[in-house]
Amino acid sequence: MKNKYRITILGVTIIIIFILFLSVLNSNKVYQPSQMLGKKIPEFVLDNLFNKNLKLNSKNLSEKEFAVLNIWASWCIPCRIEHPFLMDLKNKYQIEIIGINYKDDDNNAKEFLKKYSNPFSSIGIDKNGEAAIQLGAFGVPETYVLKNGKIIFKHIGPINADVVIKIIELRGK
Amino acid sequence: MAGTIGNLGLFFSLVLNVVLLLLLIQRIRQTNFGNLKIIELLNNGVFLSLLISFLILIYCFIISDFSNVAVYQNSHTAKPLIYKISGAWGNHEGSMVLFVLILSFFSFVFLRTKVVDKLKIYTIFFQSILIFIFLIFLLLTSNPFDQIDPKPLQGLGLNPILQDPLLAIHPPFLYFGYVGFSLVFSFALAGLLTNNLDKSWSKIANFWIILPWSLLTIGIGLGSFWAYYELGWGGYWFWDPVENASLMPWLAATALLHSNLVSFKKDKLHSWTALLAIFTFIMSLLGTFLVRSGVLNSVHAFANDPHRGLYILSVILLVTFYSLVIFIIKSPKQNTHKNYPFFQKDNFILINNCFLVFFLSVVLVGTIYPIILDAVSGQSISVGPIYYHSILTPFLFIFLFFMSHGPLLSWNKQDKFPQIRNVKIFFFISIILTSIIIFWFFDYKNIILILGLFFSLYLIISVIFDFVLNKKLIKLHLGRLISHLGFGILIFSIFINAYLSKEINLAMKVGDEVKIENFIIKFKSINKVKKQNYEEVFGNFLVKNNGKLVELSPSIRKYDQPVQLTSETSIKNNFFVDYYFAINLSDFEKDKIMIRFYYKPMMFWIWFSILLIAFGGMYQSFRLTNEKQI
Repeated sequence: MKNKYRITILGVTIIIIFILFLSVLNSNKVYQPSQMLGKKIPEFVLDNLFNKNLKLNSKNLSEKEFAVLNIWASWCIPCRIEHPFLMDLKNKYQIEIIGINYKDDDNNAKEFLKKYSNPFSSIGIDKNGEAAIQLGAFGVPETYVLKNGKIIFKHIGPINADVVIKIIELRGK
Repeated sequence: MAGTIGNLGLFFSLVLNVVLLLLLIQRIRQTNFGNLKIIELLNNGVFLSLLISFLILIYCFIISDFSNVAVYQNSHTAKPLIYKISGAWGNHEGSMVLFVLILSFFSFVFLRTKVVDKLKIYTIFFQSILIFIFLIFLLLTSNPFDQIDPKPLQGLGLNPILQDPLLAIHPPFLYFGYVGFSLVFSFALAGLLTNNLDKSWSKIANFWIILPWSLLTIGIGLGSFWAYYELGWGGYWFWDPVENASLMPWLAATALLHSNLVSFKKDKLHSWTALLAIFTFIMSLLGTFLVRSGVLNSVHAFANDPHRGLYILSVILLVTFYSLVIFIIKSPKQNTHKNYPFFQKDNFILINNCFLVFFLSVVLVGTIYPIILDAVSGQSISVGPIYYHSILTPFLFIFLFFMSHGPLLSWNKQDKFPQIRNVKIFFFISIILTSIIIFWFFDYKNIILILGLFFSLYLIISVIFDFVLNKKLIKLHLGRLISHLGFGILIFSIFINAYLSKEINLAMKVGDEVKIENFIIKFKSINKVKKQNYEEVFGNFLVKNNGKLVELSPSIRKYDQPVQLTSETSIKNNFFVDYYFAINLSDFEKDKIMIRFYYKPMMFWIWFSILLIAFGGMYQSFRLTNEKQI
């Protein structure tokens, strides 16, 4: 009888601890990336880095015939490696690149673009990484090629000359 | 390809583990405890297939197979080989494989020791349940062999700060420590269920408590050592939740190993010992939850599965619930009130057990409370060193006092008078030594500092006294003496360090000479060195301290591909003082650079004493097993 009483108290305590920690877990949103290749671009609306009144709406992106979407951050070292290639895409090949600034500090991001110059036609701020997750990203940097709103190509990690050629080819088709 | 074999290894070990569990259940039901051949075979199978999976994971890291998500996110072709290898356990997925591997390693070794078959079967049963739970967790939410498509050409992970030989060996030590406590947990549940909690149980348990405890001590020490040398903040313990997560099982285990000693020598406190064994492992699991679930900060927790945290949380609470239910129903009800003279060894151990549990609660509250408060009310409070220091310090003094006298008392008889004599001797010597140190080195008198030095010296003197007293039986006591001496030196060094450390921040240009307190700091020159992939700018400084000259050359490295700046500290040390210099990366003022200079006494002794504590434990873990029972 005494044991039953003790076990009940134990059970109740455990349940209370469970609920408390569950609320901790829920307040800390984390997701798993999903496979998005060949699918339509998921819906998201992000604030613009340079003008908070402008929004980056994925619906507008899907109206574009051809565009490149790049997830980057100022703290990300590989992003600096791929930066010259993004500049090439923009300047040499006149390809529109839309940036998603991932879990970054706004000022650092602006500083980064000032220092290395800006390849993006517009940039959305993805503070808690939700858009990146919806896009199925594994990490930064990651690059997506959109044709009529569909993700037709995805590159994980920093892009290089080969990927630039691949993107040009994709545009030609 | 390699990934597929690795995956198969994990599945195979799961299948073998399930078969083993079913067999064990059947044996327990039939109360058939003879012939362990087939159990050993299955258990070996589980261990070997896990080992193969782990080796394959290391192989994937070595060949930089970026089609593997874990490799892509945590490695890079330009990493030196040793960091490619250590990268295998430097991430969540890989370290969970190591976790399960160590669980299974401990049952592998345990099966080879001399234990009553019945106890053995129950212990392996509980250990296998743990392996099952964590294998499922691994396969469902943290599979290290997940594939990535399209295959990236290069990996992401090349964080220079984590590339340190110490960080390569720090996690395995830590893991062998706190995963190692699983065995005494399983053994305690086995002892409870079979009503075998007795002297012989304690004798066997001793090894399985002290060995992981020693490894955990080294693991914590290595982490602290790394933070001191690499992070460049001049500190070695920050009361960070991740640090606390490893300290909590250590405190619980310290209480456990002492109460187990009482159980062994006096055939009592068995319930308390079993309860501590359960709690020690629960603290290990709690640490795993805090570090793994993304509950603490998660700057790099990108592909973090929400199910992970939920799974570990459920597992911990279920394990806690069932193990405590077993404890409630089966714990031996002893009458412990019979004869409890105050001046007796077991009593002093029990008193210090209470203190350890109190220290544990303070750390637990300080770690958990802010997290829960933040989630429940959105209010964030910061619990820092001041909280821990102000609550723990006064009790630490009393703790040290009991720790000094406990070992000198007898197990069986009340010996009050020799103790009063001892108190006089220790008190006299420590007060003299403390006064000398205080007047020699300190300009100001602080009561906490004085008490800290006094009680730590008190402990050190008592250990030396004990050493002289027990010369003939030295082999029997050596482990304890070394550990206790280590602890005394540790506390002594911490207090000296805390009150004598200096931090000086300056903006200097070449040729400047600045005098602050007892230090004259001169910025002599700058020189540049061009290396293969970086340029290093050294600042050459001369520090004069009471006639002593020290040259230090901290530097800034500028890596060109990718462009990144790192600050390299310059540390000159001798047995008593570290001179520690670093250049700030930011805050450049025209032609001046910002420097940080630290004067850190006794650092060598802090590291050395941690080694002493661990070494004493290792010695003792092999010792008691061979000792005759009283």
